[in-house]
Amino acid sequence: MTATVLRSGALRAAAPSPWRWLWLALAAAVLLYLPILLTERQIFGFRLSNMMLLNIGLSQVNLMLITMLGALSLNYLTGSAGLISIGHAAFYAVGAMTAAITGSQWGWPFPLVLIAAGLGGALAGLLAGLPSLRVRGLYFVLSTFAVHYLVVFAFMEYQFKFFDVVGVPYKNATLGSWTLSTPMRWYFFLLPLVIFIYWLLRNSLRTREGRAMQAMRDHELAATANGIDVRFLRLKAFAFSSAIAAMGGALYAYYLSNVTSEFFGIQFAIQFIAMIIIGGMGSLPGAVVGAAVWLLLPSIITGLTAQAGDTTGLLRSVLVDHKPQLVQAIFGMLVIVLLIFAPWGIAGMATRLKARLTAWWSRS
Amino acid sequence: MQDKKTEQRGLLRKRLLAALAAGTLALSAQAQFESPSEGVYKDRVDWGVMMDLSGPASGSQGIWTNGFQAYVRSINEKGGVNGRRINVLAEDSRFNPAQDKINYEKLSTQTPVLAISGMGSSSSQVSLAPTIRGGKIPIVGTYTHTKPLSEPTSPLVYGGFCTYPEMAKAGVGYMTEKLKVKSPKVMVVSIESAGGVEYAQFIADAVKKYGGTSSLVTMKITAADVTPQVLEIIKQKPDFITIYGVGNTAILTMKAMHQYGLKIPAFGISYLMSPQIYAAIGPEAGPNYNVISCFTPGGADQSAGNKEMMAAADKYNHSAMKEDVNYVAGWVVGQMAVQALQLAGPQPTRARLVEAMSKGFTVNSNGLAAPIVMTPTDHAGPSRFRMIGYDYGAKKYVSFGEFADYEKYMK
Amino acid sequence: MFIQVLLSGIALGSIYGLVALGFAVVFKATDVFNFAQGMFVAFGAYFAVTTINLLGLPFPLAVAAIIAASAALGVVIHIVLIQPLSGRPMLSVIMLTIALSIVMRAVIEILYGVQSRTLSTPMPTGIFLVGDVRISQLHLVAAGVSWLCMAAFGAFFKFTSIGLLMRATADGHEAALVSGVNVKVMNRLAWAIGAGLAAIGGLFLGQLQIVSPELEHIGLLALPAVVIGGMQSIPGAIIGGLLVGLIEQLSATYISPKSSDILVYVLLLAILMVRPWGLFGQRELGRV
Repeated sequence: MTATVLRSGALRAAAPSPWRWLWLALAAAVLLYLPILLTERQIFGFRLSNMMLLNIGLSQVNLMLITMLGALSLNYLTGSAGLISIGHAAFYAVGAMTAAITGSQWGWPFPLVLIAAGLGGALAGLLAGLPSLRVRGLYFVLSTFAVHYLVVFAFMEYQFKFFDVVGVPYKNATLGSWTLSTPMRWYFFLLPLVIFIYWLLRNSLRTREGRAMQAMRDHELAATANGIDVRFLRLKAFAFSSAIAAMGGALYAYYLSNVTSEFFGIQFAIQFIAMIIIGGMGSLPGAVVGAAVWLLLPSIITGLTAQAGDTTGLLRSVLVDHKPQLVQAIFGMLVIVLLIFAPWGIAGMATRLKARLTAWWSRS
Repeated sequence: MQDKKTEQRGLLRKRLLAALAAGTLALSAQAQFESPSEGVYKDRVDWGVMMDLSGPASGSQGIWTNGFQAYVRSINEKGGVNGRRINVLAEDSRFNPAQDKINYEKLSTQTPVLAISGMGSSSSQVSLAPTIRGGKIPIVGTYTHTKPLSEPTSPLVYGGFCTYPEMAKAGVGYMTEKLKVKSPKVMVVSIESAGGVEYAQFIADAVKKYGGTSSLVTMKITAADVTPQVLEIIKQKPDFITIYGVGNTAILTMKAMHQYGLKIPAFGISYLMSPQIYAAIGPEAGPNYNVISCFTPGGADQSAGNKEMMAAADKYNHSAMKEDVNYVAGWVVGQMAVQALQLAGPQPTRARLVEAMSKGFTVNSNGLAAPIVMTPTDHAGPSRFRMIGYDYGAKKYVSFGEFADYEKYMK
Repeated sequence: MFIQVLLSGIALGSIYGLVALGFAVVFKATDVFNFAQGMFVAFGAYFAVTTINLLGLPFPLAVAAIIAASAALGVVIHIVLIQPLSGRPMLSVIMLTIALSIVMRAVIEILYGVQSRTLSTPMPTGIFLVGDVRISQLHLVAAGVSWLCMAAFGAFFKFTSIGLLMRATADGHEAALVSGVNVKVMNRLAWAIGAGLAAIGGLFLGQLQIVSPELEHIGLLALPAVVIGGMQSIPGAIIGGLLVGLIEQLSATYISPKSSDILVYVLLLAILMVRPWGLFGQRELGRV
């Protein structure tokens, strides 16, 4: 954690090297061409098979981007401010509910709906963060657990009262006159948004307040002794991260165009925690990687097991009849292995690898 | 002079060659038609299935998929349809609605299929409804029914499971007549869900025709004890009850009623029929429980379709499932898919399949269900029912009457 | 009618208490918040299906086998998964137990198929009629066995030397190590007990309804039970379980079925705000 802070500080001091610009240009090119590649499934006229593209489609990437907002905001909360929360699905639900009220019921335009969702999330975050004034650690996690169920119940009541039994509908995702009607349009809307949020969170950590937050995470009593108002800071962090999550929830609702309370179950909540752990707590790039791994890996595993081909007997029984269970089992085991052998997540592994490579390079 | 003749001969030769080429091309096209971007190849057709293969609903939807795959396999063993075998690509919805959006994209462009069957999740159907309606892939035989996807009738969508309004009518009609009650008092025991509320409404409508009343009592889907609900039943004293939910709902309700010495007859919706449910209810409470179903479980009668299905199930190691209504439902939708594919002709494309189906067709299941009639305006699906019970002594199902006997309740 | 509901609440609550007790033992000994406890309940039910229905063992032998197998599973999981992660941040360990429950569920579905199973045991299924009140014999047996287990473990922890050693180890690992206690063995014993108790709960729940991986969700209700009662307290877990069962049944009858879950979580939140260490727990002191 400290190594990352030092390094980013050092980077700031040095002038951006020409290599860095090249990397950025390459990344931009890839990101811009990706949706076309995933939709056309061919490159320069050469048709790509499904497995060559790792069994991934553009819808998946879009959903990954939407969920990434949750991962980034949870990482901000947990890794940087030291608050663990299982309540993120609840904030997605709050966002979806606010979007339903302002968008589907009151007919506000889409951009305003998103802002409203963010504000609703901030308010909810403030309320949900109140127990943090009283309890810490595991007990606080449990309070978020309780909040989760209460919010989902509220959503269910809202859905049954104001809308059809099949769910809450969301229409008209339009920005001015441009409608988000195809996955490609969604991609080009979501990508800059996620990049913006990432930039926002990263910069907020570099401010005085951000450093105060990290001090609070590292050693609360010492931070308090240094004059940092811990309680206020905690609530602020909670409100900020919940606002982002709520916006993610509104986007999720509009993307699926119909949601029910069951969408925001405990499984949904747990996936955010899984993402930041896999990616590496406290690391924003880690949250990005974690979201990608958690959402794309099952499809890749499914695709790979489908390649296993024609086999008979016990293997057939497991591979064909129980393929989905096998995918789940492999997936769970990968997470377990990662947790045991790479506790700092993929980002942590990458940092260590980079350090080792740099050391090796400077030595030779 | 000479040049003109050579010219003419050259032209004739060219024309002959062109005609020959066109002829060969036509012949070969007939024999080797393929359209990979729609899942049609020289020797196989890719057909998609989107169901919950893992997670809480997999107990029924996984079995449905097995039934579907079993029928398709039996057809493949006989050579397939028009020389092509049917390759089933089953995608798991993993009880995650967002996953279905991903799966639909996969089945339309990544591993394209000619058509999709199943679609077990109602929320996914609603979410995907605009995309499906505006797309090109037909949905042949849905497992569940939702308004946005089926109303108004779309040439792309065809229902594949028992329709609820007719289910309610048949059940209420049969019970009212059997119990000889004048104005039946009915209670609906349901899980807290959208479908339950809707079903209760259908029951209310059906009961109204007989001048009776109905009420609703709900429970959690993961309930472990239903004392509160049974106490409500005791308070209201209905003539009969009907159960909507999952297997557990039926089991807990029947067992609790037995515990309280209640002998109120009950009938469950078509989904709630499997040997496990009957075994869990037990031989003491079981005789009071029947199921109103549009499908006939294995062994309930001796129709040709029933025997064929039982034989195939035993052959493919599905013996434990053949008495499960979900298996039968999957098998019958398999029949629907194959018969629709036959209608599309030797050069099937998505457009041809849709055109053939939307003209109207009838699915013949050889007795497993009443003939499923699809007209240009009605794609609802199997809508004829009969009551099925279980004989604990003989350890098999008993069907009460034929599908035609229940026609009188459909008015 | 009120007594009827009360009794069913106590019966259900006893089973919750059993599962919560297993949870509390594991937490007190190894500091692990085991989200996979629900799957241990499901495993117990499935072991029962195997030994009773598939293998056809006589009932007492089957019960012994179930408890032994679950206990062994608990120990194996501790050795393979929990021990390597000791000292890691709490969130990692929680995530590990969640991933574990995913794997366990997949394994059950592969081994037994996705269909639910019925459990047919020789346990009585009749009714006692006491005045106007009907008591299900199965409920009575479930409650009775649960109370017996809880009392037995209470006595175990209080009066036997191993029990005392376990409590001592749970209270302070370093002190126990210094005193020559084999902490590893104590921890494994705790996990064996936790899994075994969950399995007994699974056996009853499987008989009361149907055996399916969904039993996991009932196990999840033991979590608020344990927190309300007090996570570090054994009697607290039991009382918490009873309370949750009673609230569930009473609210389902007199308010609405939907409200039962919410009331439990509202109570949970209230306890966390007012008395976070639970009704019977001890206040934890923060050390600088």
